[in-house]
Amino acid sequence: MAGMTYRGVGGFADMIGAGLRSLSRYTGTLFAVFFVQSMIAAACTIGVAIVLVQAFSHLPMFDEAVDGQLVAMLWVVGHARGTFVAVGGVVFAALVLWQLAAWFLVGGLYGVLAERPETRSDTARCFGANGAATYLAYARLAVCSLPGWALVLTVFGTCHGMVSARIDHALSIGELLGPLAFALVPALALLHLFWTVSDYARVELTLRHGTHDPGVLATYLRTLAFVARRPLTLIHGGMGWVFFLLVTAAYAYLARGHSMYGAEGAVTLFVARQGVSLMRMAIHVAVMAGQVELGRTRPLPPRRVEAKAQENS
Amino acid sequence: MIRTAVVVAVSVLAIACGHDRGTPRVRPLPVGDGSPALRGGGPPRSPRNANYKIEARLDVVRHEIVATQTLTWTNTGGSAVDTLPFHLYLNGFKNESTVFMRSGRGSMRGEVASSTGWGWIQVHSVKIAGAELVHTLTYTGGDETVATLPLAAPLAPGGTIQVAFEFTAQLPEVFARTGYKGEFHIVGQWFPKIGVRVGPPGAERWECRPFHVHTEFFADFGVYDVAVTVPNTYVVAATGVLASATEAPGGTRTFTYHAEDVHDFAWMADPYMDVMSGQAKVEDGTVEVRVLYRPEHKAFARRHLEAGVGAIEKFSAAFIPYPWPIMTIVDPPTDAVYGAGGMEYPTFVTTGGDSVFVRPGLRLPEYVTVHEVGHNWFQGMLASNEALEAWLDEGVNEWADGRVMADLYGARASGIDWMGWQAEVGELRRAYGTDPASMPVPIAAAAFAFVDSDAYASATYEKTARALATLEQTVGPMKFGAAMKVYAREWAFKHPTGRDLFDVLSRELGEDLTWFFVPVFQEVGGIDLAIRSAACRLAHPPRGVFGEGSAKKTVSETDAKETGTYVCEVVVTNTGAVHVPVDIALEFADGSSQRVRWDDRGRGTWERFVVERSTQLVEVWIDPERKLALAQPVLHRYRLEGDGAASLRAAAWIGSLGQTLMQIVGP
Repeated sequence: MAGMTYRGVGGFADMIGAGLRSLSRYTGTLFAVFFVQSMIAAACTIGVAIVLVQAFSHLPMFDEAVDGQLVAMLWVVGHARGTFVAVGGVVFAALVLWQLAAWFLVGGLYGVLAERPETRSDTARCFGANGAATYLAYARLAVCSLPGWALVLTVFGTCHGMVSARIDHALSIGELLGPLAFALVPALALLHLFWTVSDYARVELTLRHGTHDPGVLATYLRTLAFVARRPLTLIHGGMGWVFFLLVTAAYAYLARGHSMYGAEGAVTLFVARQGVSLMRMAIHVAVMAGQVELGRTRPLPPRRVEAKAQENS
Repeated sequence: MIRTAVVVAVSVLAIACGHDRGTPRVRPLPVGDGSPALRGGGPPRSPRNANYKIEARLDVVRHEIVATQTLTWTNTGGSAVDTLPFHLYLNGFKNESTVFMRSGRGSMRGEVASSTGWGWIQVHSVKIAGAELVHTLTYTGGDETVATLPLAAPLAPGGTIQVAFEFTAQLPEVFARTGYKGEFHIVGQWFPKIGVRVGPPGAERWECRPFHVHTEFFADFGVYDVAVTVPNTYVVAATGVLASATEAPGGTRTFTYHAEDVHDFAWMADPYMDVMSGQAKVEDGTVEVRVLYRPEHKAFARRHLEAGVGAIEKFSAAFIPYPWPIMTIVDPPTDAVYGAGGMEYPTFVTTGGDSVFVRPGLRLPEYVTVHEVGHNWFQGMLASNEALEAWLDEGVNEWADGRVMADLYGARASGIDWMGWQAEVGELRRAYGTDPASMPVPIAAAAFAFVDSDAYASATYEKTARALATLEQTVGPMKFGAAMKVYAREWAFKHPTGRDLFDVLSRELGEDLTWFFVPVFQEVGGIDLAIRSAACRLAHPPRGVFGEGSAKKTVSETDAKETGTYVCEVVVTNTGAVHVPVDIALEFADGSSQRVRWDDRGRGTWERFVVERSTQLVEVWIDPERKLALAQPVLHRYRLEGDGAASLRAAAWIGSLGQTLMQIVGP
């Protein structure tokens, strides 16, 4: 009954269709975003390589560790804990950098998917304009979503605490699965819920920033209600994660036992890993397009732009 | 949606909850083992001067044992005895003020003592020749874990005395090797146990120290006849052989065990345990190995059984045949394993390591079993003083375990053989463990003198095992193994000390090993080998001004041209406390190699090696066979020209992982 209040159809098939259309129509945009991500990942790789070369280039035991010798790995990690902390720091810095860049890139992507520009130059203009216009709103949205993440952690801590002894004492996979599910599923479900809320709130902020200039906190709360009433949002996003995991698992399975040594191996490995990353990003973009399709059907927010204009006059 | 969520939540909760075992059933009355306490009978192996006859009744609701005990003790020393000290170990768990609790800060092996399930032992009566003496018992040593009984008249050398006790033992909630958890009861250190006379003949003294968190046990050998009465739903396992099992009033049963040439007695009672057994073949017969386990542990019980059978066979072959007919291995319930698992008593051990995460091929359960069974040699038969020289059983056993695991599962995969990963158990232990050089207390310190549990464990177990492995590889495994076998055979059923071990090894290895034993066992530090410098230059005849007066001659670069060969110089240092001979491999650019040896036995802290070759030196490798288990090998292998290929591969993998994380937090 609740769906009757929304405009348009906004069905699952429409969302999937929008995703597939966006991939064929905005392939260049997808590649552009992927390029930025790959550059940050490459910078991270170079940073890590510099740290490792400084520490290990003269020590063949590190070569043994990289070749998969367990004891050598333990020796190397035990010997150079500081080096691995530094490596962790480089990766963390890359993630923070990506998160900051992602607010712009996601804003641009949602803008393009919402406005559907025709030409390359229009697409670029639309991407940049929306990315810039929504950047600070997305940053404020990240702050608004913090209580949600805190709740996720609390639920995980509580559930895990209730079954941690059973996990520790499990003797078989069967005995492990129940407590593990109890520890993880509620937190993961909440995580997915809040993640989806953030996504649809971004869609709303992108779709309506020019016409309604909705408040971030109000948008977040309204979106929470919207997602709670429309399980389709969660199913659609969940399917995206399932495909994401399937691609990752398939790569891990196929790569197992292929060490890919030497220059040729390195190139093969690079191409394979980038291909997997591109596929996963395509899944994300398709999901985003579906979210925009459904987001259009939401009731319009209060028109804060007009209210402001009247106040000014 | 809400309905679905509730159904899912209830289902998950139901799956997460434990299974109900139901009411314990009455077990068939077991028959006696029907075998002598020593395999094949035969004469006593030990002096048998501390013999116990105990009748005990376990209240499984209150976790309390009410017992009577008669100790028959013979003074085998050369001096008269006017007091008898007794260990009352359970009083170590009586409150937070005991030596045990204070020294362990209320925890042991990461397990915290229960604040509600305290343990204690109360002696109600002590009689000698019918005279009640309980009022003369005094606690000595800082808590109530040692009680001393003055004798009315000194007991002369060779004299025998009988002491009758009545006592109640309250088991703690399982902690530090003893106690209860639900219906499971592991009963160790539970009865008044007399100390040991040590020292030179005629000047002996009592060795009977308060129960400390780091000290285990030390006792004389004897014969134990122990009758335990428990509900008829309970399965019982204990030290020795089951002489008889009889029905008793009130739905109970009495199990009578008999053990010879043992120095302790422990038992287990639980209503849910099953038993599986196998046969170990030793040079003069067979040994029955039994594993007691709850049904959910069945898969792990098989692993313990296989390891137990293998351990009996390998330890018997390497040192001295297992003399008793039965070895009992108890696999405790998972919620009791931290307190009850991994403990050794004569013919009876508890094991552990069972977990869903310990897949077949990850040999932790096997290792725990091998280690505990191995203690039947190192402490069970070679009954060293665990309070003063804990390393002599724990560390020596740890070293022997490595050999036995390698024999059982192959040298390369004795620790791990899983998903293509392989690791030798000793290497794994060394790589995972603490650097011996960082330990602040030497190995040969009394167990209670260690600064903390980590230092105690690292030195006693790990550093000792590494020290013996280093010596083994230095003198040769065959020769060392033969010497250890002689030590085991000479000192079985006696109380050896570290000095006795060193003397046997020096004698059998034909070398005064003071240069090794003193720094390794009595000093702090390890082997700290490193390559200080390694470089090559093109060789040429000497240049410069030579001679005087008219004979003065200048030899220039033109006169003394480079020969086309390289002079390579390598400086190796050892700044550690321990100095042992070490091989150094020099690898050259043309693929050739050369070995040099630094025969360091404490004579220096550095050595320079100069070689001339037709190609450049590319790599230096100290101890290429990794014989020096006491050393940390990461810096032992050094290539002169850096090679970043492995670093790049690792960085590419980490970068890819980073990109995956980026795709999780963003698009």
